[in-house]
Amino acid sequence: MTIFIDLYSEGNTFLHRLDPRVKIISVLLLSLLAFVLSTVYSLAALLAFIFLLLFLSRASMGRTWFALRFVLRFMALIVILWPIFDPAGTPVWAELGPVKVTEPAVWRGITSAVRVGCLACVWYILMFTTAQRDLVRALVRMGLRFDYGLTLAISLRFFPSFMATISSITDAQKARGLDFNRGGLIKRSKKHVAVLVPAVVAALRTADSLSLALQSRAYGARTDRTYMRQLKMRTFDYVALTIVTMLFIVPLTAKYLFLVHF
Amino acid sequence: MTVVPSTHGERLAAFENVNFSYEDGTEALRGITLDIRKGEQIALVGGNGSGKTTLAKHLNGLLKPTTGRVIVKGSDTRKEQVANLARIVGYVFQNPDHQLFCSTVAEEVRFGPMNFGLAEPEVERRTERALEIMTLERLKAEAPLSLSLGDRRRISIASVIAMAPEVIILDEPFTGLDAGEAESLMDVMREMNRQGTTIILITHDMRVVAEHSDRVIVLSHGRKVFDSKTRTAFSDLKLLRECGLIPPPAIQVAHHLREYGVSPEITTVEELADELARVLREQQ
Repeated sequence: MTIFIDLYSEGNTFLHRLDPRVKIISVLLLSLLAFVLSTVYSLAALLAFIFLLLFLSRASMGRTWFALRFVLRFMALIVILWPIFDPAGTPVWAELGPVKVTEPAVWRGITSAVRVGCLACVWYILMFTTAQRDLVRALVRMGLRFDYGLTLAISLRFFPSFMATISSITDAQKARGLDFNRGGLIKRSKKHVAVLVPAVVAALRTADSLSLALQSRAYGARTDRTYMRQLKMRTFDYVALTIVTMLFIVPLTAKYLFLVHF
Repeated sequence: MTVVPSTHGERLAAFENVNFSYEDGTEALRGITLDIRKGEQIALVGGNGSGKTTLAKHLNGLLKPTTGRVIVKGSDTRKEQVANLARIVGYVFQNPDHQLFCSTVAEEVRFGPMNFGLAEPEVERRTERALEIMTLERLKAEAPLSLSLGDRRRISIASVIAMAPEVIILDEPFTGLDAGEAESLMDVMREMNRQGTTIILITHDMRVVAEHSDRVIVLSHGRKVFDSKTRTAFSDLKLLRECGLIPPPAIQVAHHLREYGVSPEITTVEELADELARVLREQQ
C-alpha cells in the first residue's frame, strides 16, 4: 500500500491557482456550512458540489481513492452504529432485545455520515491543490507568527523522513531477530521500545543539528522579515471568495432569519 | 562480461532471476542471478542507487523479490520470517543509531541472542565473545548512546556477531570511522572470515575492496554488470568508470605501467611494489 503523506500534487487547475488564503477561508466556510445544513438532501447537494470540485482538481484516481477509502469506511461505521445508540422516533423498523432501529434514526445516521463526508472531502480539496509551503505562507500572512509558521513547515517537511527512519529502525531490529508478531499483547507492545527509543533519539539529533544549521544561516538575525514570493489577491480570487461567502450566507440567513428548514 | 568464480564451500544463498520494484514503481533489481558460498569475502559495489542495499536486504528477507526467488540455506525467503533468517544472515545497518536502544553496551549485544530464545549461559558466552572480538569489554557497562560514533558502530557490529550468523553483511560500515578504525574493523572481519563466516561488504572504498575481498560484484541500475575474482575485477577500467567506480591508486599506477610489463592484476600497494621490483630486476 502506498502512503501519501503529502497529498498535494502539482497541477494548474483554477483550484491550484487560487490564493491559498482564499482556499483556507473557503474551506472553513464550507465546513461551517455543513453544520448549518440539516437535511440529508441539502447535505447531499453540498457533498455533490464538493465532489465536483474534487473532480476539477484533477487529483489522480489513486490519490483520491487513497483519501476517500478512510472517509467511506468511517461513513459506513456511522450509518451502522447510529441507529443502535439512538432509539428515538417511530416507526420502529426492527427490534432485537434492547436494540431498537427506527426510521428517523436511520435517516439521522445517514445525514451525519454525509456531513462527515462533506467535512473530510472539503479539506482534501485544500490538501490536494495547495503545496505545504503555500499553506504555511498563507497562515503567516493571516497573522500566524513566523516562528510558528516555520516550525509547522519544518514538521511537515520532516514527517516523511521521520517515517523513513522509523521503517529503517524497524528493519534493523527485525534483522536482530525481533519478531513483532510473537507473544501476548504486553510482550508485543514492549517490543516497540526497541523502535521507539532509537526513533526519539534520531528525532532529537535531527532537531539539534537543524537548529545549528538554521543559526549558521543567520536565522533570527533580523526581526523584520521580507519575502521573496508575495501573495497577491487577483480578481479571480475575489470572485471565488464572494461565491463561497454567498453559498454560506444565504442558507445561514434563510435558516435563522426566515426559519426555512434546510 | 560475467565470470562466475569457482569458489569454495557449500552454497549458502542463491538469487534466481530476481526482479524487485519498490511500491512507487522504481525498478531496483533487474534479473539478478548469483550464488553466495560459504567462506567467501564479497564486495558489493556500484554507484549510489545502483541497488546494493536492496540486494542485501533480500538475503535476510527484509525485502522479498517481486519475481524470481531468493533461496537461503534451502528455503525460499518469501516463506520465511526475517526473525528466522536472522539466524543465518546478520545485517549491520548503515546507521548504528537506528538500532541502539538499551542502557548498557552488554544489554545491546545480548539483544539478538535473547530474541533467539537461547539459554542464559549461551547468551552470556556469545555476548562475552562478541564484546571481546570488537574490543568492547572495557565499555560494556557504558550507555551506548553516550559513546563516539566509532564505538557505536563497533557495538552494532558486536550485536550482530553475538547472533553468530553464517553470513555478515556490512552496509557502508566506514562512515564516520577514521582510517585506523576502518583498518582494524577489516582486520576483525578478515579473522571472522578465516573462521568460516561469509562476509558481504557494501562500500564505496575501492582500496578496501581491493585489499579485503576475494570477489567483487558490481551493480549498475539494478543489474549485475560484473561478478569476478577481485584480482581480475579491476582490469576493465572503462567498464568500471561506466559504473561510477574508480580503482584504487595502486591499481591505476599498475595500469599506466602496463606497457613496461607491469601486471595490473595486483590488489595492494605491497603487491604493486613487489611487481615493480620484479620488472626493474628483469630490466637490469
